[in-house]
Order: sequence, then C-alpha cells, then structure tokens
Amino acid sequence: MRAEAHRRRAFWQILLLSAGLLVLTVISAGSVYLVNKAREDSKWVLHTIEVENQINALLLEVRRAESSARGFLLTQGPDFLSDHEKAVAAIIPALDKLTRQVGDDPAQRDNIEKLRAAIETRLDQFSREMTFVKQGQPDRATALIREAAGGNTTTTIGNMANAMIREEERLFRLRTANSDRSQTLAASMTGIGSGFVVVLAMISIWLVRRSARVRDEAESRLRDANVNLETVVDERTADLREANDEIQRFAYIVSHDLRSPLVNIMGFTSELEELGDDIFRRIGGLTNVSADGSPPAPGAPGEIALEGADKQLSEDFSEALGFIKTSIAKMDRLISAILNLTREGRREFEPVKIDTRELIEAIVSTLAHQAVEAQAEIHLEPLPNLVSDRLALEQIFSNLIDNAIKYLKPGVPGEIRIRGRTKLGYAIFEISDNGRGIDPKDHQRIFDLFRRAGTQDKPGQGIGLAHVRALVRRLGGTMSVSSELNAGSTFTITLPIAWNVSNRNRDR
Amino acid sequence: MTQPVTIVMIEDDEGHARLIERNIRRSGVNNEIVAFANGNDAMRHLFGADGSGLVQKGNALLILLDLNLPDMTGIDILKQIKENKYLKASPVVVLTTTDDSQEIKRCYEFGCNVYITKPVNYENFANAIRQLGLFFSVIQVPPAAT
Repeated sequence: MRAEAHRRRAFWQILLLSAGLLVLTVISAGSVYLVNKAREDSKWVLHTIEVENQINALLLEVRRAESSARGFLLTQGPDFLSDHEKAVAAIIPALDKLTRQVGDDPAQRDNIEKLRAAIETRLDQFSREMTFVKQGQPDRATALIREAAGGNTTTTIGNMANAMIREEERLFRLRTANSDRSQTLAASMTGIGSGFVVVLAMISIWLVRRSARVRDEAESRLRDANVNLETVVDERTADLREANDEIQRFAYIVSHDLRSPLVNIMGFTSELEELGDDIFRRIGGLTNVSADGSPPAPGAPGEIALEGADKQLSEDFSEALGFIKTSIAKMDRLISAILNLTREGRREFEPVKIDTRELIEAIVSTLAHQAVEAQAEIHLEPLPNLVSDRLALEQIFSNLIDNAIKYLKPGVPGEIRIRGRTKLGYAIFEISDNGRGIDPKDHQRIFDLFRRAGTQDKPGQGIGLAHVRALVRRLGGTMSVSSELNAGSTFTITLPIAWNVSNRNRDR
Repeated sequence: MTQPVTIVMIEDDEGHARLIERNIRRSGVNNEIVAFANGNDAMRHLFGADGSGLVQKGNALLILLDLNLPDMTGIDILKQIKENKYLKASPVVVLTTTDDSQEIKRCYEFGCNVYITKPVNYENFANAIRQLGLFFSVIQVPPAAT
C-alpha cells in the first residue's frame, strides 16, 4: 500500500517534469516560429510601403517628363529638353523596378501591364512631340499633346497608378494586421508559457516538499521503530534469561529434592536386606532343627544352607533387592549429573588470558596414562590464545580429548590431533581422531543429555558432550561434529577470542 | 559423654530421622534423642514459649540440623541458635543432602560446628552416621550457658 503510493508519487513527479520540459520546448519553438513570422510580416509591410513609394516616384518622373516637354514646346530652351530627356530615361528603369517589386501579386501584375502599355504610348508621344519641335513644327506637337490629353493616356496612367496605390494600401492594412496579430500571439504565447512553467514549478516544489516531509516522517518513524525494536529485544532477552534461570533453579531444586527420598529408599532397602538375611537365617535354623533334632551352633550364624523352596525364596528376594539397588544407584548417578550440570550453569565465568597450548598440554599429561593404555599419540599443532574462563576451557578440552582416547578403534594405534586457527574474532579448534567414528544419524543425539551412540562397551552416563556444548554456548561459541562410522571424528569448537564478562554478567 | 546430653534432631523426613536414629544407636550412643519434623516445633522446644532460650539453661544439648525444612530454612535456626546467649555454645551438626560449596561455607560462617552431606549410597550413609555416633560418644558438650 505504502509502496504503491510511493510509486505513484514518483510517477507524478516524473510526469510533471516531462510536462514542464514539453511546455518549455513548445513555447520555445512557438516563440521562434512566431517571431520569425512577425519579422516576415514586417518585411511584407515594409515591402508594401516601398512599392507605394516606387509608384509615386514613377508618377513623379512621368509628370516631370510631361511638364518639361511642355516647357520645351513653349520656350524651346535646351534646359527643358535635357530635363525631359533625363526624366524619360528614368521612367523605364523605375517601371522595371516596380514590375519586379510587384511580381508576387497577380492583381498588381495586371495593373502594371496596363500601366506599362499606357506609359509606353505616352513615351512614344513624347518622342514624336520632341521630334516635331526639333523640326520646327510646334503646331503638330501641340496637336499631339491635345491628342494625348484627349486620348486619355495621362488619365489612364493616373488611374492605373491610383489603382495600384489603393491595392497596396489594402495590402498594407492586411499585412499590418497580420504582423500585429503575430506579435500579439508571440507575446501571449511567451506569457502563457511562462505562467504555465511557473505553475508547474510551484506544483513540483510543493510535491518535493511534501515528499521531503513524508521522508522525514518515515525517518523518524524508522528511528522510533529501531529504538522500540531494541527495547523489545532487550525485554525478550531478559524474559529468556529469566526463563533460563528459572529452568536452572527448577532443575536444581528437583534434582536436589529427589535425592532425599532416594536416601530413604536406599536406606530401607539395605535395612530390608539385612532383615531378609536375618529371616532366612532363622528359617534355615528352624529347618535344620527339624531335620536333625538339635539347635544350630550359636557361634556360626549365616552359614546355614537353605534347601529347596526356601532357597528359591531367598534367591528371589535377593534378586528383587538387587534390581532395586542397581536402579537406585543409576537414578542417583543421573540426579547427581543433573545437579552438577545445573551447578555448572550457575557458576560465574571469569575471563582470564589463557595460554591454550599450556592448558591443553596439562590436560594431555593428566590423560597420559589412558593414552598409553590405548596406544594413542596426541599431536598438538599451533593454537591461538584466548581470553576466556579457564575451568570451562579445561572441562571442554579434557572431555573431548578423553572421548577421543576412549572411543578409539580396538587394535588400531590412536592418533589424536588438536589444531587451531583464528577467523574474524573467533578461535576455531579442531580435535580429530582416527577412532571408531559416529554414525551421521547420531550426530545430534550425542549432544543430548543421557544419550550415547555406537557400541556401549565403555562406562559413561551420556553427560560429557551435553556438558561441553552447554559450556561452549555459555562462552558465546558453537560446536559441531563431522564424522563417519569407522572413519574417525572431528569435533570443531568456535569460541570468541576475547570473551567479554559484561555480556554474561549483565544478566545476572 | 560425661553428663547426660540430649540430642535434638531437626529433620523433616521421617524416614531419614529413623535411619539416623538407628545408626546412632548402632554405634552405641544411648542418649535421649528428641526429634522434630519441622522448624517451628523445634524452635519452640529450643527457645521456649518466650523465645529467650531460658528453658534450656543448664541443659547439655547437641543439635542435629537439616537445612531443608518445610516451614523455614535450617540456616535461620542455625543463626538464631548461635546468636542466643544460652544456646550458642551447643554444638550444631548440619546433616543435609546439599553438597553445594557455597551453602557449606555459609553454614560454617554462621557458626555450625560440623557439616555433613548425607551420602545417597546407604552404606556410606550408615557408615557416616555411625562414625558421627562414635564422635558423639567422645566429644565434650558444655551445658547451655548459666
């Protein structure tokens, strides 16, 4: 649910950023396009003005030619003639220029064709007038002028020019409007786009701030959860410790209180045994009396032989008592073992610096006699030193070495090896032998209290390994076994190099 | 024992009491044995109704004490005996199942004279009690302070 919301928020932010980018791109492209269009429109507006100017310039030249022609006709002064010739020479280029300028507009092209025809007619008249004047026939020239005026040539020129100017004015209005529209559009587009970007930025900032707030909240919740977790772990650890202590006390009290009735059972069984002896001796005495008629010799009690059914009874009685006594003895051993284990569990460890090699050599020397008997050789390889509880380590190693000697293969010289190395703050010890080995299905069982494995030809209670594992665990380590039947065993113990007293005594 | 010494046995297990008595008798000790199965009865006998211990003035007592009692711990009784001006000279033999070294140390610190762990093996048990009986027959017990 939370992950879903998170994903959605991330999606929205990406969308927002993309939208912002898109808007910016569109605005930029649109602005460039619109600015270009506005420039284009302006150019057209300018063009229109130029065309108008050109038309006016053309008309001016035509009028100039006309007026100078009239001046020449009246005065025949050479000044007017040269002026007229200049004006006539300027008309055609001006007309050509105008033609080029309005080439894009079909309506104006028609107009200019007509204008050109009219101007050419007029120019023709001019040249004829000039010729007449030069030849001294001013009357004919005057007649031509009248003809020109009457033939509407000048009027046509004026009309055509006016039509063109009107057309250009129309175009001017149109193009000005276009240009204005483009500029307005560009401006509003930029404005709206900027506003849009600002809005998007604000939404984005809001989203970022909100997600930052959510993150802060999550962080503080995580912190709280961590603190809470630690408290919970501490509580649970304390509970476990309490439960463990309870079990220890329980085991101690149970085993201790079980001993008391055991003393009674044992005691009165012995009393019964003595009583039984007395009773059977009496029975024997009475039987003997009845057999030979004289009482048994008073100085030799207990030497009376029972016969037949009496003997059977006595044997049954002794057998029953024997079973009771062996059972009691066994029960006593078990209770003592539990008692010792619980007592060991209650003992406070005291970490000291330990020369492991020295410690194991001492153990080996105490086991030397058994080793010689079993034809076993014990090899010590370099061993790491530890800070740990000396007594616990002694018990661990002596149990394991003792086991190794005890469970060798009969008839095969024993070879027991003790190796050590360190890894990540832990010391790892391996005690391996070439003895009878342990079936893998028994690997768990051998660590259980009162459980043993393999051929039961050696004395033992099934306590040693349970005890060793309990000690290793209390020292903060682990132990394991790898073994195959008839292929030797290797017990591996991992212990912290520096066992810290605080991590154990804190719970006491 | 030169003068009649009374053995006060405080033992909650009647079977144990019987076995102890039998074995003490077997060692030839014929003194009176007064048995109590709980702490309160024993306290009333030792300290009297007023709790001062005056009732025992002039009597020679030897106290056999079990530590695990149903109504109080033997250690409390031991402490009170050793703090009482009439009884503090009477020898106290702690005879119990516990062989915890802390417990043993504590008892001697509180002034117990002998601490014996009841052996579970009956032969050893009988042997220990008989030897204790022999010990009783030779030791001197002072009368409760006058």
